[in-house]
Amino acid sequence: MSGADPAPRLDHHTLERYETAWLGVAVVMTVLLFAGVIASLISGTYPLLGAGTGHAHEGPIVKGRVDPARLAATPFAKPGLVVDRAGQPVLNDRGTLDAYLVAGGFTFQPAALRVPAGVPVTLHVTATDVVHGFQVTGTNVNVEILPGHVASLTVTFRHPGEQHVICNEYCGAGHHNMITRFIVEAPRETP
Amino acid sequence: MTTALPSRPASSPALPGLDSATLTSLKKLTQYYAVTAFLALMIGVLLGPLQALNYGGINVYDYPLLKVLIRSYYQGLTLHGVLNALVFTQFFISGWMLYLPARDLNVRPNMRFAWFTYLTMTAGLLTAAVPLLMNDATVLYTFYPPLEGSPVFYIGAAVMVAASLLVAGQVVWLWLAWKRAHPGRVTPVVTYMSVATWLMWIVAALGLVAEVVFMLIPWSLGLTRGVDPLLARTLFWWTGHPIVYFWLLPAYISWYAFLPRQAGGRMASEGLTRLAFAMFLVFSVPVGLHHQYADPNVQNSWKVIHMFLTFLVAVPSLLTAFSAAASLEDAARAQGGRGLIGWVRRLPWRNAGMTAQVLAMVSFIFGGAGGIVNASMAFAPVVHNTAWIPGHFHITVGTATTLTFMGVMFWLVPHLTGKRLFSPRLALASVWWWFGGMMLFALGMHWQGLAGVPRRAQVSASAQQAAYDGMNIALPKLLTALSGGVLFVAAILFYTVLIRTLLSPRQDDPESTPIPTSEAISPAGPTLREASLLVRRTEPLLALTFAALVLVILVYGPVIAPMLANYQFIPGQRLW
Repeated sequence: MSGADPAPRLDHHTLERYETAWLGVAVVMTVLLFAGVIASLISGTYPLLGAGTGHAHEGPIVKGRVDPARLAATPFAKPGLVVDRAGQPVLNDRGTLDAYLVAGGFTFQPAALRVPAGVPVTLHVTATDVVHGFQVTGTNVNVEILPGHVASLTVTFRHPGEQHVICNEYCGAGHHNMITRFIVEAPRETP
Repeated sequence: MTTALPSRPASSPALPGLDSATLTSLKKLTQYYAVTAFLALMIGVLLGPLQALNYGGINVYDYPLLKVLIRSYYQGLTLHGVLNALVFTQFFISGWMLYLPARDLNVRPNMRFAWFTYLTMTAGLLTAAVPLLMNDATVLYTFYPPLEGSPVFYIGAAVMVAASLLVAGQVVWLWLAWKRAHPGRVTPVVTYMSVATWLMWIVAALGLVAEVVFMLIPWSLGLTRGVDPLLARTLFWWTGHPIVYFWLLPAYISWYAFLPRQAGGRMASEGLTRLAFAMFLVFSVPVGLHHQYADPNVQNSWKVIHMFLTFLVAVPSLLTAFSAAASLEDAARAQGGRGLIGWVRRLPWRNAGMTAQVLAMVSFIFGGAGGIVNASMAFAPVVHNTAWIPGHFHITVGTATTLTFMGVMFWLVPHLTGKRLFSPRLALASVWWWFGGMMLFALGMHWQGLAGVPRRAQVSASAQQAAYDGMNIALPKLLTALSGGVLFVAAILFYTVLIRTLLSPRQDDPESTPIPTSEAISPAGPTLREASLLVRRTEPLLALTFAALVLVILVYGPVIAPMLANYQFIPGQRLW
C-alpha cells in the first residue's frame, strides 16, 4: 500500500448524513417490530392473560384475587377439568371448558391434567405458598403463578399427546422436581 | 510522589479544582471501589462453572467437600447472581462514574463524604453477606416474596443500594456546581454521560427502594402479616429492567469516549452521543412490565405500552452501535485499513483493552437482538423463565458490561496506581477466553431454553428426567458444560493479571497513563450558543429527568393503583 493515497478521513458532514440515515433505519425497524407484535396479538398467535376483571369468578375470587388459605371454598378445591355429574366436561357461557390448577409444595394439582384436543380450555391457576411457574413444554403456555392471584388464559390444544408442565420460577429446594404431565386426548364426542 | 495535574484549567475562584492531595485520595477511593468490585466478581465467577455443569447435566452439589461450603445449588446460584450482577456492577460503577466526572470537570469532590459513601456501601455488602453465606437468604437476586429471607439480607442490600444513590447525589451536585460556575458552557461529554446515567438510576431505584423499605423489611421483621407478590414483582421490575442500563451505560461511556482513542481514532458525534444518553434517561425506566407479560392481574394494554417503550430504548442502543462502529472504522482507516469489512484487521488487536471492548460489542449485537425477542409479547411466552434468559444476560451484562470493565481495568489500574500491567499477552488471552466461553455458554443456554429447559433449576438433580428426555438437548448441554471450563480458564488468566498488577511495585507517574479521552469528528463546541440544536436541547438533564419521572408515573400509576386497592397479604415461606 506504499505510495497509495491515504484514504480521506471521515468528516463531519459525511458522518452527519450517515447518522441521520441510520437514525431513520432504527426508528423504522422499531415501528415495524411493534406493528409485527401487534399483528400477532390481534391474530391471536399467543394466549393473552385475563387481567383480573376479565374473567368472572364466583365467591371468594374477586378481581382475580383469592385468599390462598380459603381455596376450599372455590373451584380450586377440585383441581382439574370442570365436569358435570356424568363426568362430562362442561362448557361455560364463553364457550370454553374450565380447568383449575393449584401449585404448591413442589407439586401441581391435578397430578396429570387431561384435556380434550381441539376444544378451547380456559386454564385457571393459582398457588398456595410461593411464586411458581407454569410452562407447558412444546407450547407458548407460560404463566407466573402467584399466591393470592388467579391467572386465567384460554388455549386450544390441537394435537393429542403428552406434554410436561414445568415449574419455571424458583420456588425452593424442590423446584427442579416440580414437573407434571399434561395429557391432550383425542376428542370423544363433542359435548 | 508527584501527580501531574490535569490540563483543563482550574475552574473558577468559586469552584476549587482538583489539587494533588484530593486527586491522590480520589484515585485511592476509585481503586478501592474497583478492587472491591473485582473481588466480589472473583468469588461469583468461581461459582459459575458449578452452574454451567448443572446445565451440562452434571450435579456437583452433592460432593461432601462442596457441601460444607455451600448448602445447595440454589445457595450457590444466589451467591453467583448477587455477587456478579449486583455487587460487582454497583461497586465498579460507583467508583468509575464518580472518578470520571470529577476529572472531566476538574472539580474537587468532598472526599470525606465520598469515603463515607464507600464505607457505607461496603458495610451494606458485608451485612447482606452474612445471611447469604448462612443459607438464610437463598432467595436469588430477584428475591420474589413470599419466599422470605432473613431481614438482615434486605437491610444490608438496602444500605448498599442507598449508598449508590449517595454517589449519584454527589456527582449531580458536582455537576450543578460546575454549571453554576460556567454559565452558557456545554457540559463535557464524559460528564454528560455520567450524570445522565446517575439521574436515570435515581428514577429507576425508586421502585426497589419502595419494595424493600415499605414491604420486605417490615414484613421480614414480622411487623406486617404478609406481602402482595404481584406488587412486589412490579416494584422490583420498575428497577429491575433499568438496572441493566445502569450496568450497560457505564460501559457505553467507555465505548463512546475512550475506545476510539485506544483504537487510534476519534469519537463519532458528540451530539448523537448526547441524544442516546438523553433517550436512555427518559425511556429506560417505564418499561418494566415487559418482565411481567406472564403475570396475572395486569392489564394487557399496559403491557403493550411498556413493550412499545421498551422497543424505543432499542433506538439509543442502535445509535451506539453506529457510533462505535464508525469510530472503530475511522481508527482502522487512519491506520491504512481498506475495504468494506477488511479495515477490521487494522484495529490494534494486540491491545487487550481495545480487544476486550470490541468483543464486548460483538457480544452485545447478539445480546441486544435476543433482548428484542424477550421484550416482544409474541415471543416472550416461548422463552420466559427458560434457560434462554441466563443465556441472554451472560452476553449482555456478563460480557458487554463485564468484559468492558475488565478491559478498562487494564488502563485504569496503571492510571490510578502507577503500576504496570502484568503481562499484556496474558491479559489479551484472558479476554479471548472470556468471550469464547460466554459465546459457548450463550449458545448452549439459548438452545436449551428454546427446547423448554427452565432457568434457575437444578436440572441435573431432577427426579423427573422424563420431561427432558424428549427435548433432544445433548449437544447444547455439552456446550454449556464446556463453557464452564473455558470461563474458569479465562478467570484464572484475568485474575492472575489483575492480582499480579496490583501486587507489583509502583514504577511510573500514574498520570503517564492518561484517561484515553477521544476527540470527536463532530464535537459539541464549548458554548451552548455555538452548539447545534441537538446539543442545546439535550443539555437540560434535570428537565429530562423530570420528564422521565412524569412518564414513569403515567405508565406505572394505573398499573400500581389497583394492586394497592386489592392488596393481598400473603405470609412468608422459607422453602429452601
